Amino acid sequence: MTSSSESLSQPRLRRHVCWLLLLLCLLGLIPIQRSIDLRRGNDRGAADVLFLPSGKFLRQLSLGYEGLLADIYWTRVVQYFGGKRLAHSTEFKLLGPLFQITTDLDPHLLIAYRFGSIFLAEKSPRGAGQPLEALALLHRGIVANPDYWRLWEDVGFIYYWDLKDYPAASRAFQAGSERPGAMEWMRALAAKVAAQGGQLATSRFLWSEIVRQAGNEQIRKNAEDHLIAIEAEEEITKLDELIALYNTRQGRPTRSFQALVTAGYLRALPHDPLGVPYILDAGGRVRLNPRSSVELSLLE
Amino acid sequence: MRVATIALHTFKESVREKVLYNLVAFALLLIGTAILFGSISVGVEQIILITLGLTSISVFGLLIAIFIGIDLVSKEIERRTIYNILSKPVSRPEFILGKYLGLLFTLLVNTAIMTVGFYAALFYQKRALLLDDLRFLGAVYFILLELAMVVGIAVVFSCISTPVLSAVYTFCLYVIGNFSADLRAFGQETQNALLGTLCDVLYYLLPNFGNFNVITQVAHAEKIPGYLWLGNSLYALLYIAALLGMAVLIFEEREFR
Repeated sequence: MTSSSESLSQPRLRRHVCWLLLLLCLLGLIPIQRSIDLRRGNDRGAADVLFLPSGKFLRQLSLGYEGLLADIYWTRVVQYFGGKRLAHSTEFKLLGPLFQITTDLDPHLLIAYRFGSIFLAEKSPRGAGQPLEALALLHRGIVANPDYWRLWEDVGFIYYWDLKDYPAASRAFQAGSERPGAMEWMRALAAKVAAQGGQLATSRFLWSEIVRQAGNEQIRKNAEDHLIAIEAEEEITKLDELIALYNTRQGRPTRSFQALVTAGYLRALPHDPLGVPYILDAGGRVRLNPRSSVELSLLE
Repeated sequence: MRVATIALHTFKESVREKVLYNLVAFALLLIGTAILFGSISVGVEQIILITLGLTSISVFGLLIAIFIGIDLVSKEIERRTIYNILSKPVSRPEFILGKYLGLLFTLLVNTAIMTVGFYAALFYQKRALLLDDLRFLGAVYFILLELAMVVGIAVVFSCISTPVLSAVYTFCLYVIGNFSADLRAFGQETQNALLGTLCDVLYYLLPNFGNFNVITQVAHAEKIPGYLWLGNSLYALLYIAALLGMAVLIFEEREFR
Protein backbone atom coordinates (compact mmCIF):
# COMPACT_ATOMS: atom_id res chain seq x y z
CA MET A 1 0.00 0.00 0.00
CA THR A 2 2.82 2.34 1.02
CA SER A 3 4.97 1.55 -1.99
CA SER A 4 1.97 2.01 -4.24
CA SER A 5 1.22 5.47 -2.82
CA GLU A 6 4.93 6.34 -3.11
CA SER A 7 5.02 5.36 -6.74
CA LEU A 8 1.94 7.45 -7.30
CA SER A 9 3.21 10.47 -5.42
CA GLN A 10 6.57 10.53 -7.17
CA PRO A 11 5.29 11.40 -10.64
CA ARG A 12 2.81 13.77 -9.03
CA LEU A 13 5.60 15.49 -7.13
CA ARG A 14 7.61 15.66 -10.33
CA ARG A 15 4.69 17.25 -12.11
CA HIS A 16 4.34 19.83 -9.38
CA VAL A 17 8.04 20.59 -9.50
CA CYS A 18 7.87 20.90 -13.28
CA TRP A 19 4.92 23.28 -13.14
CA LEU A 20 6.70 25.37 -10.53
CA LEU A 21 9.88 25.42 -12.59
CA LEU A 22 7.91 26.37 -15.69
CA LEU A 23 6.12 29.25 -13.99
CA LEU A 24 9.22 30.56 -12.22
CA CYS A 25 11.25 30.48 -15.41
CA LEU A 26 8.56 32.21 -17.44
CA LEU A 27 8.14 34.88 -14.77
CA GLY A 28 11.92 35.27 -14.54
CA LEU A 29 12.06 35.99 -18.28
CA ILE A 30 10.04 39.21 -17.88
CA PRO A 31 12.57 41.28 -15.87
CA ILE A 32 15.45 40.00 -18.02
CA GLN A 33 13.69 40.93 -21.25
CA ARG A 34 12.68 44.31 -19.83
CA SER A 35 16.24 45.05 -18.82
CA ILE A 36 17.52 44.11 -22.30
CA ASP A 37 14.80 46.22 -23.96
CA LEU A 38 15.56 49.18 -21.76
CA ARG A 39 19.24 49.24 -22.66
CA ARG A 40 19.06 47.89 -26.18
CA GLY A 41 16.36 50.35 -27.21
CA ASN A 42 18.97 53.09 -27.21
CA ASP A 43 21.50 51.04 -29.14
CA ARG A 44 18.96 50.19 -31.82
CA GLY A 45 17.81 53.75 -32.22
CA ALA A 46 21.05 54.71 -33.88
CA ALA A 47 20.73 52.12 -36.60
CA ASP A 48 18.76 54.10 -39.20
CA VAL A 49 20.17 52.07 -42.02
CA LEU A 50 18.75 50.21 -45.00
CA PHE A 51 20.92 47.21 -45.73
CA LEU A 52 19.23 46.45 -49.03
CA PRO A 53 18.34 49.80 -50.57
CA SER A 54 17.19 48.45 -53.96
CA GLY A 55 13.61 47.28 -54.34
CA LYS A 56 14.41 45.78 -57.73
CA PHE A 57 17.19 43.68 -56.19
CA LEU A 58 14.89 42.61 -53.36
CA ARG A 59 12.32 41.65 -55.97
CA GLN A 60 14.81 39.21 -57.48
CA LEU A 61 15.66 37.86 -54.04
CA SER A 62 12.01 37.36 -53.09
CA LEU A 63 11.67 34.26 -55.30
CA GLY A 64 8.22 35.28 -56.49
CA TYR A 65 6.95 36.36 -53.07
CA GLU A 66 7.42 40.05 -53.81
CA GLY A 67 3.77 40.77 -52.90
CA LEU A 68 4.30 39.47 -49.40
CA LEU A 69 7.62 41.26 -49.13
CA ALA A 70 5.95 44.50 -50.25
CA ASP A 71 3.36 44.05 -47.51
CA ILE A 72 6.13 43.52 -44.98
CA TYR A 73 7.97 46.62 -46.20
CA TRP A 74 4.77 48.64 -46.12
CA THR A 75 4.25 47.56 -42.52
CA ARG A 76 7.83 48.56 -41.84
CA VAL A 77 7.16 52.00 -43.32
CA VAL A 78 4.16 52.44 -41.04
CA GLN A 79 6.15 51.29 -38.02
CA TYR A 80 9.06 53.54 -38.94
CA PHE A 81 6.84 56.56 -39.43
CA GLY A 82 4.79 55.83 -36.30
CA GLY A 83 7.93 55.25 -34.25
CA LYS A 84 9.43 58.56 -35.38
CA ARG A 85 6.19 60.38 -34.63
CA LEU A 86 5.97 58.86 -31.16
CA ALA A 87 9.59 59.80 -30.51
CA HIS A 88 8.82 63.38 -31.71
CA SER A 89 11.60 63.03 -34.24
CA THR A 90 11.62 65.33 -37.22
CA GLU A 91 14.07 63.27 -39.25
CA PHE A 92 12.51 60.81 -41.65
CA LYS A 93 15.48 60.03 -43.83
CA LEU A 94 14.49 56.40 -44.52
CA LEU A 95 10.90 57.23 -45.45
CA GLY A 96 11.55 58.00 -49.12
CA PRO A 97 13.79 54.96 -49.73
CA LEU A 98 11.34 52.67 -47.89
CA PHE A 99 8.50 53.83 -50.12
CA GLN A 100 10.67 53.31 -53.17
CA ILE A 101 11.38 49.72 -52.12
CA THR A 102 7.75 49.00 -51.24
CA THR A 103 6.41 50.30 -54.54
CA ASP A 104 9.23 48.66 -56.53
CA LEU A 105 8.19 45.36 -54.97
CA ASP A 106 4.51 45.94 -55.63
CA PRO A 107 3.79 48.84 -58.00
CA HIS A 108 0.05 48.31 -57.53
CA LEU A 109 0.03 48.77 -53.77
CA LEU A 110 -2.12 51.89 -54.01
CA ILE A 111 -2.30 52.49 -50.29
CA ALA A 112 1.47 52.95 -50.24
CA TYR A 113 1.24 55.84 -52.73
CA ARG A 114 -1.75 57.46 -51.04
CA PHE A 115 -0.56 57.23 -47.45
CA GLY A 116 3.02 57.67 -48.52
CA SER A 117 2.28 61.02 -50.10
CA ILE A 118 0.61 62.16 -46.87
CA PHE A 119 3.51 60.95 -44.71
CA LEU A 120 6.04 62.62 -46.98
CA ALA A 121 4.22 65.87 -47.71
CA GLU A 122 2.85 66.82 -44.29
CA LYS A 123 4.90 69.47 -42.57
CA SER A 124 7.02 68.61 -39.57
CA PRO A 125 6.24 67.34 -36.94
CA ARG A 126 3.26 65.59 -38.54
CA GLY A 127 5.28 64.39 -41.50
CA ALA A 128 8.57 64.56 -43.32
CA GLY A 129 7.88 67.93 -44.98
CA GLN A 130 9.05 66.64 -48.38
CA PRO A 131 6.25 67.52 -50.84
CA LEU A 132 8.48 67.07 -53.88
CA GLU A 133 9.33 63.52 -52.75
CA ALA A 134 5.61 62.96 -52.27
CA LEU A 135 4.90 64.15 -55.81
CA ALA A 136 7.64 61.87 -57.18
CA LEU A 137 6.06 58.93 -55.36
CA LEU A 138 2.60 59.76 -56.71
CA HIS A 139 3.90 60.18 -60.24
CA ARG A 140 5.47 56.74 -60.01
CA GLY A 141 2.10 55.47 -58.83
CA ILE A 142 0.35 57.14 -61.76
CA VAL A 143 2.75 55.55 -64.24
CA ALA A 144 2.11 52.11 -62.72
CA ASN A 145 -1.65 52.68 -62.26
CA PRO A 146 -2.70 55.12 -64.99
CA ASP A 147 -6.43 54.55 -64.54
CA TYR A 148 -6.56 55.28 -60.82
CA TRP A 149 -7.91 58.83 -60.61
CA ARG A 150 -7.42 59.21 -56.86
CA LEU A 151 -3.66 59.56 -57.29
CA TRP A 152 -4.31 62.68 -59.40
CA GLU A 153 -6.48 63.99 -56.60
CA ASP A 154 -3.56 63.51 -54.20
CA VAL A 155 -1.19 65.24 -56.63
CA GLY A 156 -3.57 68.18 -56.88
CA PHE A 157 -3.82 68.32 -53.16
CA ILE A 158 -0.08 68.53 -52.63
CA TYR A 159 0.23 71.26 -55.25
CA TYR A 160 -2.64 73.11 -53.61
CA TRP A 161 -1.82 72.63 -49.99
CA ASP A 162 1.91 72.20 -49.65
CA LEU A 163 3.33 73.98 -52.69
CA LYS A 164 0.60 76.65 -53.04
CA ASP A 165 0.81 76.16 -56.80
CA TYR A 166 -2.88 76.60 -57.60
CA PRO A 167 -2.69 76.37 -61.42
CA ALA A 168 -0.75 73.09 -61.14
CA ALA A 169 -3.29 71.84 -58.56
CA SER A 170 -6.14 72.72 -60.90
CA ARG A 171 -4.44 70.90 -63.80
CA ALA A 172 -3.96 67.80 -61.62
CA PHE A 173 -7.64 67.79 -60.57
CA GLN A 174 -8.60 68.25 -64.21
CA ALA A 175 -6.36 65.35 -65.31
CA GLY A 176 -7.85 63.18 -62.56
CA SER A 177 -11.40 64.06 -63.60
CA GLU A 178 -10.65 62.64 -67.07
CA ARG A 179 -9.69 59.21 -65.72
CA PRO A 180 -12.29 56.44 -65.93
CA GLY A 181 -14.58 56.30 -62.89
CA ALA A 182 -13.54 59.72 -61.57
CA MET A 183 -16.09 61.53 -59.42
CA GLU A 184 -17.99 64.42 -60.96
CA TRP A 185 -16.79 66.85 -58.33
CA MET A 186 -13.19 66.55 -59.53
CA ARG A 187 -14.07 68.77 -62.49
CA ALA A 188 -15.75 71.29 -60.16
CA LEU A 189 -12.73 71.15 -57.90
CA ALA A 190 -10.42 71.94 -60.82
CA ALA A 191 -12.51 74.97 -61.71
CA LYS A 192 -12.85 76.19 -58.12
CA VAL A 193 -9.12 75.89 -57.40
CA ALA A 194 -8.29 77.70 -60.65
CA ALA A 195 -10.65 80.54 -59.74
CA GLN A 196 -10.27 80.87 -55.97
CA GLY A 197 -7.05 79.09 -55.01
CA GLY A 198 -5.62 80.05 -51.63
CA GLN A 199 -8.91 80.99 -49.99
CA LEU A 200 -10.03 79.26 -46.80
CA ALA A 201 -13.41 78.55 -48.39
CA THR A 202 -11.71 76.59 -51.16
CA SER A 203 -9.64 74.69 -48.61
CA ARG A 204 -12.79 73.89 -46.68
CA PHE A 205 -14.40 72.59 -49.87
CA LEU A 206 -11.38 70.41 -50.60
CA TRP A 207 -11.12 68.87 -47.14
CA SER A 208 -14.88 68.37 -46.92
CA GLU A 209 -14.74 66.37 -50.13
CA ILE A 210 -11.93 64.29 -48.67
CA VAL A 211 -13.97 63.60 -45.52
CA ARG A 212 -16.97 62.67 -47.64
CA GLN A 213 -15.06 60.38 -50.00
CA ALA A 214 -12.40 58.96 -47.67
CA GLY A 215 -12.39 55.20 -47.79
CA ASN A 216 -10.03 55.03 -44.87
CA GLU A 217 -10.33 56.11 -41.25
CA GLN A 218 -6.85 57.67 -41.05
CA ILE A 219 -7.36 59.75 -44.18
CA ARG A 220 -10.75 60.90 -42.87
CA LYS A 221 -9.25 61.80 -39.49
CA ASN A 222 -6.49 63.80 -41.14
CA ALA A 223 -9.05 65.70 -43.24
CA GLU A 224 -11.21 66.33 -40.18
CA ASP A 225 -8.21 67.75 -38.32
CA HIS A 226 -7.68 70.16 -41.19
CA LEU A 227 -11.37 71.13 -41.23
CA ILE A 228 -11.25 71.81 -37.49
CA ALA A 229 -8.16 73.97 -37.98
CA ILE A 230 -9.91 75.92 -40.77
CA GLU A 231 -12.96 76.42 -38.57
CA ALA A 232 -10.80 77.67 -35.70
CA GLU A 233 -8.88 79.97 -38.03
CA GLU A 234 -12.13 81.46 -39.32
CA GLU A 235 -13.47 81.89 -35.78
CA ILE A 236 -10.27 83.57 -34.61
CA THR A 237 -10.44 85.98 -37.57
CA LYS A 238 -14.08 86.85 -36.74
CA LEU A 239 -13.32 87.25 -33.02
CA ASP A 240 -10.35 89.52 -33.80
CA GLU A 241 -12.63 91.68 -35.96
CA LEU A 242 -15.22 91.81 -33.19
CA ILE A 243 -12.62 92.83 -30.60
CA ALA A 244 -11.28 95.54 -32.92
CA LEU A 245 -14.84 96.88 -33.30
CA TYR A 246 -15.41 96.77 -29.53
CA ASN A 247 -12.10 98.52 -28.83
CA THR A 248 -12.89 101.27 -31.33
CA ARG A 249 -16.36 101.89 -29.90
CA GLN A 250 -15.25 101.73 -26.25
CA GLY A 251 -12.08 103.73 -26.85
CA ARG A 252 -10.00 101.31 -24.78
CA PRO A 253 -8.69 97.77 -25.37
CA THR A 254 -10.55 94.87 -23.80
CA ARG A 255 -8.77 92.50 -21.44
CA SER A 256 -11.30 89.65 -21.50
CA PHE A 257 -14.07 88.06 -23.53
CA GLN A 258 -16.41 88.62 -20.61
CA ALA A 259 -16.53 92.35 -21.46
CA LEU A 260 -17.72 91.47 -24.98
CA VAL A 261 -20.39 89.15 -23.57
CA THR A 262 -21.55 91.83 -21.12
CA ALA A 263 -21.68 94.39 -23.91
CA GLY A 264 -23.73 92.00 -26.03
CA TYR A 265 -21.12 91.45 -28.74
CA LEU A 266 -21.00 87.76 -27.90
CA ARG A 267 -23.76 85.48 -26.62
CA ALA A 268 -21.31 83.40 -24.51
CA LEU A 269 -17.60 82.92 -23.92
CA PRO A 270 -16.14 81.62 -27.19
CA HIS A 271 -14.82 78.06 -27.48
CA ASP A 272 -12.77 76.47 -30.24
CA PRO A 273 -14.28 73.65 -32.35
CA LEU A 274 -13.07 71.10 -29.79
CA GLY A 275 -14.78 72.95 -26.92
CA VAL A 276 -11.75 74.56 -25.26
CA PRO A 277 -12.13 78.30 -24.48
CA TYR A 278 -10.16 80.77 -26.58
CA ILE A 279 -7.84 83.15 -24.74
CA LEU A 280 -6.64 86.71 -25.27
CA ASP A 281 -2.88 87.29 -25.35
CA ALA A 282 -1.11 90.32 -23.83
CA GLY A 283 -1.61 92.27 -27.06
CA GLY A 284 -5.36 91.62 -27.02
CA ARG A 285 -5.24 89.10 -29.91
CA VAL A 286 -7.30 85.92 -29.86
CA ARG A 287 -5.26 82.77 -29.40
CA LEU A 288 -5.92 79.07 -28.97
CA ASN A 289 -5.79 77.87 -25.40
CA PRO A 290 -2.54 75.93 -24.73
CA ARG A 291 -4.79 73.04 -23.63
CA SER A 292 -6.45 72.95 -27.02
CA SER A 293 -5.56 70.14 -29.40
CA VAL A 294 -6.56 72.11 -32.49
CA GLU A 295 -3.52 72.29 -34.76
CA LEU A 296 -3.46 75.63 -36.51
CA SER A 297 0.02 74.77 -37.78
CA LEU A 298 -1.74 72.53 -40.32
CA LEU A 299 -2.79 75.66 -42.18
CA GLU A 300 0.65 77.23 -42.36
CA MET B 1 25.17 9.64 -13.89
CA ARG B 2 22.15 8.16 -15.68
CA VAL B 3 21.59 11.52 -17.35
CA ALA B 4 25.22 11.59 -18.51
CA THR B 5 24.93 8.07 -19.93
CA ILE B 6 21.79 8.98 -21.89
CA ALA B 7 23.44 12.20 -23.08
CA LEU B 8 26.53 10.33 -24.25
CA HIS B 9 24.46 7.76 -26.14
CA THR B 10 22.35 10.47 -27.71
CA PHE B 11 25.48 12.24 -28.88
CA LYS B 12 26.96 9.03 -30.31
CA GLU B 13 23.70 8.33 -32.10
CA SER B 14 23.50 11.87 -33.50
CA VAL B 15 27.00 11.90 -34.90
CA ARG B 16 26.16 8.77 -36.88
CA GLU B 17 23.61 10.77 -38.90
CA LYS B 18 25.09 11.37 -42.34
CA VAL B 19 22.85 14.35 -42.98
CA LEU B 20 24.62 16.25 -40.22
CA TYR B 21 27.91 15.94 -42.07
CA ASN B 22 26.21 17.19 -45.22
CA LEU B 23 24.84 20.24 -43.42
CA VAL B 24 28.19 21.05 -41.85
CA ALA B 25 29.88 20.55 -45.24
CA PHE B 26 27.39 22.94 -46.87
CA ALA B 27 27.98 25.49 -44.14
CA LEU B 28 31.74 25.26 -44.63
CA LEU B 29 31.29 25.58 -48.37
CA LEU B 30 29.18 28.70 -47.95
CA ILE B 31 31.70 30.20 -45.54
CA GLY B 32 34.36 29.48 -48.16
CA THR B 33 32.35 31.15 -50.93
CA ALA B 34 32.09 34.24 -48.73
CA ILE B 35 35.70 34.88 -49.74
CA LEU B 36 34.59 34.89 -53.40
CA PHE B 37 31.59 37.15 -52.70
CA GLY B 38 33.90 39.55 -50.93
CA SER B 39 36.34 39.62 -53.81
CA ILE B 40 33.69 40.79 -56.32
CA SER B 41 32.63 43.61 -54.02
CA VAL B 42 34.35 46.86 -53.10
CA GLY B 43 35.35 47.91 -49.60
CA VAL B 44 33.24 45.35 -47.74
CA GLU B 45 35.17 42.14 -48.39
CA GLN B 46 35.74 41.42 -44.74
CA ILE B 47 32.24 42.46 -43.68
CA ILE B 48 30.76 40.09 -46.26
CA LEU B 49 32.92 37.25 -45.03
CA ILE B 50 31.93 37.91 -41.41
CA THR B 51 28.21 38.37 -42.01
CA LEU B 52 27.89 35.50 -44.47
CA GLY B 53 30.11 33.27 -42.34
CA LEU B 54 28.26 33.89 -39.10
CA THR B 55 24.89 33.73 -40.86
CA SER B 56 25.87 30.35 -42.30
CA ILE B 57 26.71 29.10 -38.82
CA SER B 58 23.35 30.38 -37.61
CA VAL B 59 21.23 29.06 -40.50
CA PHE B 60 22.86 25.66 -40.76
CA GLY B 61 22.96 25.44 -36.97
CA LEU B 62 19.21 26.07 -37.01
CA LEU B 63 18.67 23.27 -39.53
CA ILE B 64 20.81 20.92 -37.45
CA ALA B 65 19.02 21.93 -34.23
CA ILE B 66 15.60 21.27 -35.75
CA PHE B 67 16.75 18.09 -37.43
CA ILE B 68 18.20 16.51 -34.30
CA GLY B 69 15.53 17.86 -31.93
CA ILE B 70 12.43 16.55 -33.68
CA ASP B 71 13.41 12.88 -33.53
CA LEU B 72 13.68 12.73 -29.78
CA VAL B 73 10.67 10.55 -29.02
CA SER B 74 9.55 9.27 -32.39
CA LYS B 75 12.80 7.48 -33.15
CA GLU B 76 12.81 5.80 -29.76
CA ILE B 77 9.25 4.58 -30.36
CA GLU B 78 10.02 3.49 -33.90
CA ARG B 79 12.97 1.43 -32.74
CA ARG B 80 11.06 0.31 -29.66
CA THR B 81 14.00 1.33 -27.48
CA ILE B 82 11.79 3.59 -25.36
CA TYR B 83 10.24 0.53 -23.66
CA ASN B 84 13.65 -0.75 -22.86
CA ILE B 85 14.84 2.56 -21.41
CA LEU B 86 11.74 3.32 -19.36
CA SER B 87 11.60 -0.18 -17.94
CA LYS B 88 14.99 0.49 -16.36
CA PRO B 89 15.32 2.72 -13.27
CA VAL B 90 15.36 5.84 -15.46
CA SER B 91 12.80 8.49 -14.71
CA ARG B 92 11.18 10.38 -17.53
CA PRO B 93 12.72 13.74 -16.52
CA GLU B 94 16.14 12.07 -16.59
CA PHE B 95 15.40 10.71 -20.03
CA ILE B 96 14.39 14.16 -21.36
CA LEU B 97 17.31 15.93 -19.70
CA GLY B 98 19.83 13.34 -20.88
CA LYS B 99 18.49 13.48 -24.41
CA TYR B 100 18.55 17.26 -24.41
CA LEU B 101 22.13 17.45 -23.13
CA GLY B 102 23.23 14.90 -25.72
CA LEU B 103 21.66 16.98 -28.49
CA LEU B 104 23.20 20.13 -27.07
CA PHE B 105 26.62 18.53 -27.12
CA THR B 106 26.09 17.49 -30.74
CA LEU B 107 25.18 21.07 -31.54
CA LEU B 108 28.22 22.36 -29.70
CA VAL B 109 30.56 20.10 -31.68
CA ASN B 110 28.96 21.03 -35.01
CA THR B 111 29.08 24.73 -34.22
CA ALA B 112 32.70 24.39 -33.17
CA ILE B 113 33.56 22.77 -36.51
CA MET B 114 31.77 25.55 -38.43
CA THR B 115 33.50 28.18 -36.29
CA VAL B 116 36.90 26.67 -37.06
CA GLY B 117 35.95 26.83 -40.77
CA PHE B 118 34.94 30.46 -40.35
CA TYR B 119 38.24 31.39 -38.70
CA ALA B 120 40.13 29.46 -41.37
CA ALA B 121 38.39 31.54 -44.07
CA LEU B 122 39.12 34.70 -42.13
CA PHE B 123 42.77 33.71 -41.84
CA TYR B 124 42.91 32.98 -45.57
CA GLN B 125 41.55 36.43 -46.35
CA LYS B 126 43.54 38.44 -43.82
CA ARG B 127 46.65 36.28 -43.84
CA ALA B 128 46.65 36.69 -40.06
CA LEU B 129 44.39 36.36 -37.05
CA LEU B 130 44.48 39.02 -34.36
CA LEU B 131 43.35 38.98 -30.75
CA ASP B 132 40.56 41.37 -31.75
CA ASP B 133 39.11 38.66 -34.02
CA LEU B 134 38.05 36.78 -30.90
CA ARG B 135 35.07 39.12 -30.74
CA PHE B 136 33.33 36.92 -33.32
CA LEU B 137 33.19 34.20 -30.68
CA GLY B 138 30.67 36.42 -28.87
CA ALA B 139 28.36 36.20 -31.86
CA VAL B 140 28.95 32.44 -32.06
CA TYR B 141 28.13 32.13 -28.35
CA PHE B 142 24.83 33.96 -28.91
CA ILE B 143 24.08 31.76 -31.92
CA LEU B 144 24.71 28.74 -29.73
CA LEU B 145 22.34 30.05 -27.04
CA GLU B 146 19.73 30.62 -29.72
CA LEU B 147 20.22 27.11 -31.08
CA ALA B 148 20.01 25.64 -27.60
CA MET B 149 16.59 27.26 -27.28
CA VAL B 150 15.57 25.96 -30.71
CA VAL B 151 16.53 22.40 -29.72
CA GLY B 152 14.46 22.88 -26.56
CA ILE B 153 11.46 23.95 -28.64
CA ALA B 154 11.97 21.01 -31.00
CA VAL B 155 12.13 18.66 -28.00
CA VAL B 156 8.80 20.00 -26.68
CA PHE B 157 7.12 19.57 -30.06
CA SER B 158 8.63 16.13 -30.54
CA CYS B 159 6.86 15.05 -27.34
CA ILE B 160 3.54 16.09 -28.84
CA SER B 161 3.70 15.57 -32.56
CA THR B 162 5.23 13.75 -35.51
CA PRO B 163 8.77 14.66 -36.68
CA VAL B 164 7.56 16.53 -39.79
CA LEU B 165 5.02 18.61 -37.91
CA SER B 166 7.50 19.21 -35.10
CA ALA B 167 9.96 20.58 -37.64
CA VAL B 168 7.30 22.87 -39.12
CA TYR B 169 6.15 24.10 -35.71
CA THR B 170 9.71 24.70 -34.51
CA PHE B 171 10.62 26.61 -37.64
CA CYS B 172 7.44 28.71 -37.42
CA LEU B 173 8.17 29.54 -33.79
CA TYR B 174 11.70 30.48 -34.75
CA VAL B 175 10.37 32.89 -37.39
CA ILE B 176 7.79 34.33 -34.97
CA GLY B 177 10.52 34.68 -32.35
CA ASN B 178 12.45 36.90 -34.72
CA PHE B 179 9.46 39.21 -35.13
CA SER B 180 8.51 39.46 -31.46
CA ALA B 181 9.75 43.07 -31.24
CA ASP B 182 7.25 43.97 -33.98
CA LEU B 183 4.54 42.18 -32.06
CA ARG B 184 5.29 44.35 -29.06
CA ALA B 185 5.40 47.54 -31.14
CA PHE B 186 2.03 46.58 -32.60
CA GLY B 187 0.64 46.08 -29.10
CA GLN B 188 1.96 49.45 -27.95
CA GLU B 189 0.45 51.30 -30.86
CA THR B 190 -2.93 49.62 -30.94
CA GLN B 191 -5.84 51.51 -29.41
CA ASN B 192 -7.37 48.29 -28.13
CA ALA B 193 -6.31 47.66 -24.50
CA LEU B 194 -7.14 43.95 -24.65
CA LEU B 195 -5.13 43.47 -27.82
CA GLY B 196 -2.28 45.47 -26.29
CA THR B 197 -2.20 43.23 -23.21
CA LEU B 198 -2.39 40.12 -25.37
CA CYS B 199 0.56 41.33 -27.44
CA ASP B 200 2.51 42.04 -24.26
CA VAL B 201 1.81 38.57 -22.87
CA LEU B 202 2.84 36.96 -26.16
CA TYR B 203 5.95 39.12 -26.29
CA TYR B 204 7.16 37.76 -22.97
CA LEU B 205 5.92 34.23 -23.60
CA LEU B 206 7.35 33.69 -27.08
CA PRO B 207 11.10 33.31 -27.51
CA ASN B 208 12.74 36.59 -28.38
CA PHE B 209 15.45 35.60 -30.83
CA GLY B 210 16.06 39.23 -31.76
CA ASN B 211 18.08 39.55 -28.52
CA PHE B 212 20.68 37.17 -29.85
CA ASN B 213 21.36 38.74 -33.20
CA VAL B 214 24.65 40.62 -32.96
CA ILE B 215 26.15 39.55 -36.28
CA THR B 216 25.92 43.01 -37.85
CA GLN B 217 27.30 44.59 -34.69
CA VAL B 218 30.42 42.43 -34.58
CA ALA B 219 30.89 42.75 -38.35
CA HIS B 220 31.18 46.51 -37.81
CA ALA B 221 33.66 45.95 -34.97
CA GLU B 222 31.17 47.11 -32.35
CA LYS B 223 31.59 45.71 -28.87
CA ILE B 224 28.87 43.48 -27.46
CA PRO B 225 27.65 45.28 -24.33
CA GLY B 226 28.06 43.52 -20.99
CA TYR B 227 24.35 43.56 -20.17
CA LEU B 228 23.67 41.56 -23.33
CA TRP B 229 26.13 38.83 -22.33
CA LEU B 230 24.50 38.47 -18.94
CA GLY B 231 20.92 39.11 -20.05
CA ASN B 232 21.02 36.71 -22.98
CA SER B 233 22.72 33.97 -20.96
CA LEU B 234 20.11 34.23 -18.20
CA TYR B 235 17.28 34.53 -20.70
CA ALA B 236 18.36 31.40 -22.60
CA LEU B 237 18.92 29.48 -19.35
CA LEU B 238 15.45 30.28 -18.01
CA TYR B 239 13.75 29.71 -21.33
CA ILE B 240 15.44 26.33 -21.78
CA ALA B 241 14.53 25.35 -18.20
CA ALA B 242 10.91 26.31 -18.93
CA LEU B 243 10.94 24.34 -22.19
CA LEU B 244 12.39 21.26 -20.52
CA GLY B 245 9.84 21.58 -17.71
CA MET B 246 7.11 21.69 -20.32
CA ALA B 247 8.61 18.73 -22.21
CA VAL B 248 8.74 16.67 -19.00
CA LEU B 249 5.13 17.55 -18.17
CA ILE B 250 4.01 16.40 -21.61
CA PHE B 251 6.22 13.34 -21.63
CA GLU B 252 4.92 12.29 -18.21
CA GLU B 253 1.41 12.15 -19.63
CA ARG B 254 2.33 10.00 -22.60
CA GLU B 255 1.56 6.32 -22.46
CA PHE B 256 3.71 3.85 -24.37
CA ARG B 257 2.03 0.55 -25.08
